[in-house]
Amino acid sequence: MASSSGNDDDLTIPRAAINKMIKETLPNVRVANDARELVVNCCTEFIHLISSEANEICNKSDKKTISPEHVINALESLGFASYITEVKDVLQECKTVALKRRKASSRLENLGIPEEELLRQQQELFAKRTAVTSLKAPVRLAAASLFTPRNPRPAPNEQGNHVNDS
Amino acid sequence: EEEEEEETPDAKKSISLPVSRVRLIMKSSPDVSSINQDALFLTTKATELFVQHLALSSFNNGSGKDSNTLEYSDLAKTTEENETFHFLTDILPKKILARDYLKTLEQMQEEEEEADL
Repeated sequence: MASSSGNDDDLTIPRAAINKMIKETLPNVRVANDARELVVNCCTEFIHLISSEANEICNKSDKKTISPEHVINALESLGFASYITEVKDVLQECKTVALKRRKASSRLENLGIPEEELLRQQQELFAKRTAVTSLKAPVRLAAASLFTPRNPRPAPNEQGNHVNDS
Repeated sequence: EEEEEEETPDAKKSISLPVSRVRLIMKSSPDVSSINQDALFLTTKATELFVQHLALSSFNNGSGKDSNTLEYSDLAKTTEENETFHFLTDILPKKILARDYLKTLEQMQEEEEEADL
């Protein structure tokens, strides 16, 4: 039933997505086929309504791009203020996700650069570990868990078994 | 799941409608130029809420509640009675129900066929 004519007016939300939403909203309720079709078309109408209103609001402001703020104001002025809270939650999620991604990528960059630095730190840790062996056992174990190197290498006293790679 | 987005943020978990389709529909509106990505997500979410709102409202106010069915007439009724849904009037003939119209069409066709004999 997907329309492949290039006509913009035939653009609708896929029926399957609407059916799924209706089912989740009204579980165990039968829905007439013409009612389903109508809901699909109502969606398109709703989107046009919101876009036009948001666009008008946008034009009145200095911005060229429709922003979340414009959409929220559009909802308000069209009588859909009750949607705003939930809709804002999505906005918050978007910001959180974007922030996480930015943090993650900068963290990765930081890890990638100082491989030599990590190596140097590892040597330091081994030095500290040796110093710690003089402590009592429980304390030593606790300390050791703190100083566990990222790339396990043979401990200094196993050097005899260590084969040097060419 | 429809992974049509260049970015697929985790926020999409809370959105079930296809965002790219919503974007297409928005851009087919006259004069709408560019839309911020977050604004697009908001609109998609609002559309979801609208579907739920329309379905629930129609079902609760309609006669379909007794038969546990959501009918076209329930939707028509809610559109008429709820001011927020008045924008739907144009795509929804108030007086003529689709199935009645189809019945009329069928009858007209039958009459035509009879007349041809």
